Amino acid sequence: MIKQIIKKQALLFIRNPMQIVLLIGLPIILIFILGNALGGTMDGSSSPINAKIAIIEHQSETKQIQQLLDETNGEPINEHTAIGMTPIQAFTSLLQHESLEEIITVEQIPLEQKQNALQDESYTAIIEVPPSFTYDLLSHSLLEKDEAPVLRIYENEQQPIATSIVSDLVDNFQHQLTLQAFLKQQSIDQQALAVESSIFNATKKTINQTNTISASAYYTVGMTVMNVLYIASTIGAVAFMEKRMYVFNRIIIGDISRWVFFTGVLFSGILFSFLQIMIIFTFSWTVLDVSWPNISDMLLVSLAFSVAVGGITVLLTAVSYRLHSETITNVFSNIIVVLMSFVGGSFFPFGNYSSLVHALGTITPNGAGMTAYLSILKGESFMDVSTHIIYLVLFGLTMTVIAATSFPKRGQSI
Amino acid sequence: MLELVDLSKKFHQTYAVKNMNMFIERGEVIGLLGPNGAGKSTAISMMSSLITPTTGDVRYLHKSILKSPSPLRKVTGIVPQEIALYDDLTAEENLAFFGRIYQLKGKALKRRIADVLDVIGLTQRSKDLVKEYSGGMKRRLNIGVALLHEPELLIMDEPTVGIDPQSRTHILETVQRLNTEKNMTVIYTSHYMEEVEFLCNRIYIMDQGQLIAAGSKEELKQILSSEKIISIQVTNVKETFTHALSEHPLVNNIKMKGKEIKITVDKKANLFPILIHMTEEASIELLSIHVETPTLEDVFLHLTGRALRD
Repeated sequence: MIKQIIKKQALLFIRNPMQIVLLIGLPIILIFILGNALGGTMDGSSSPINAKIAIIEHQSETKQIQQLLDETNGEPINEHTAIGMTPIQAFTSLLQHESLEEIITVEQIPLEQKQNALQDESYTAIIEVPPSFTYDLLSHSLLEKDEAPVLRIYENEQQPIATSIVSDLVDNFQHQLTLQAFLKQQSIDQQALAVESSIFNATKKTINQTNTISASAYYTVGMTVMNVLYIASTIGAVAFMEKRMYVFNRIIIGDISRWVFFTGVLFSGILFSFLQIMIIFTFSWTVLDVSWPNISDMLLVSLAFSVAVGGITVLLTAVSYRLHSETITNVFSNIIVVLMSFVGGSFFPFGNYSSLVHALGTITPNGAGMTAYLSILKGESFMDVSTHIIYLVLFGLTMTVIAATSFPKRGQSI
Repeated sequence: MLELVDLSKKFHQTYAVKNMNMFIERGEVIGLLGPNGAGKSTAISMMSSLITPTTGDVRYLHKSILKSPSPLRKVTGIVPQEIALYDDLTAEENLAFFGRIYQLKGKALKRRIADVLDVIGLTQRSKDLVKEYSGGMKRRLNIGVALLHEPELLIMDEPTVGIDPQSRTHILETVQRLNTEKNMTVIYTSHYMEEVEFLCNRIYIMDQGQLIAAGSKEELKQILSSEKIISIQVTNVKETFTHALSEHPLVNNIKMKGKEIKITVDKKANLFPILIHMTEEASIELLSIHVETPTLEDVFLHLTGRALRD
């Protein structure tokens, strides 16, 4: 009979394409949207900060260096050393470095456009290089002549984070320039202080030396554990409909134990949750290339999580039968799932920022399931996920026991 | 076959059924009549072992079913008031699901499904989803489910509510055929007196949780044997007239329906001259007047003071 109850539930799913779209299609769409929208933020490949910097030079830097070379007749600066001492070019190159290209956009604009640029709110900062800046700077640092020149920076107060980044970069560059000048004055070879870059040859790892998780993988897990919870409310709602429409009573009068029906609902919850997880994971594997380092661990977690969802399914069924109302199922699907998903980290890893949210998240089945799945994706060992598996199974069993105690006993239904 | 002994069911402080006694012999068609809220569905739930009575007993073949309902359940088919079917399954799939509940499987299940579809006249539509059915077809399938395991006792709780006359006739004829051909015992509750009159050998009348009368159709009509009903039609109904009429010592009861007034009087009472005098006095034109034979509806009205569908 349990098989018939499951078969009936499968037929009801198949006959309701809208339900399938909501249970399977929606999480897939959400994985796409969130994976793409927040992908850069999560894997560090894009930044929400975008600083646009304008550089206005009053005078050509090359001409200034040539002037200095002509005046000093190559002593102490010769053509070779002067080439390495082009501060504005070096600074521009720094700002345009590939590591900063996601954050900073640099534009060289002519002096005549200065007023327009100052009016333009899109600029984070405008750096004005005064006439003979490079000449004065080199004269000051290498020949110990004149006052140090001043670089004028106009900052956009409406972009405080971006301006502070620009400011830090200028300070840092100034520090580097001073150090460089000092080394030259002391005739110390700069290369002697340089660290050979080839000694760093690490792959991208997290602080715990585990694999990083892409946004697609994160949201595959996040949206799956969230949407699987809707299996509980969907089957719970069908079970209540069966009571309201006398089908349950018909089953009882057919001399089938209510516990057979109860077990049928439990197994339906477990089986369809597991199937939903497998369908979404298969899709994300084939389309989004989200692969599992350890498939058996993933299957175990999925089974444990399905047991937890099965427990919730029978609990919702039992409570709605007890209260003669569908309210609990509606509250669960409309409010509780969203809250659980929020603290469980389905939308964003909020737990990383709040220990309270993290603690709450791990006691939710979706949060525990998510942590377990992410551990597998990071390549952690079975021991690391086994605690979550045990928790999920115990959670499911506890829900089932509570449901069984509150399920109407013989003679109570009508 | 089935016996209800001092059966009561109390919900909070209210008795839904109180001290109900009833017996049903094999092969009988029993009618259970009563207005909404009379307690019929609660009584049916208790006699089908679905809910436990507060006091009293239900006995099947002289054995209480309260502790072991299985013997009764195995031979009982129930047709609930609700359409207890899955809209998103076909008739065949619904029958297969419920057939498994009755422990039918394999070829036996297939044969029974085919038989039942034939009985309820849905063979041609067996592969259609139930949600595509008319109300009458759903009601027929609802009955079909209860017939799958060839029950000895069929309990039907208002099986014809909200359906077209054609489907209603089909259902009534099916029930009658099952009773005569298969000697199936039927308990039939309805709002419709004519259905009960057509089908039932014996009738129980319930009101406010209690049985107020029981017997064959003829026995029940005997309740009104000392009375007759005069039905009059008037141009307009005036309160002074109806008040004077109801207060008249010869009048036992009056019931109004539009411009028709039914007056219950003693069989020997001669009310005609009084009626003519009263209508003249009230300036009401008397359009027609005739004497009716009492119906079960009249009996019900007499016993409860209200019509069955009030």
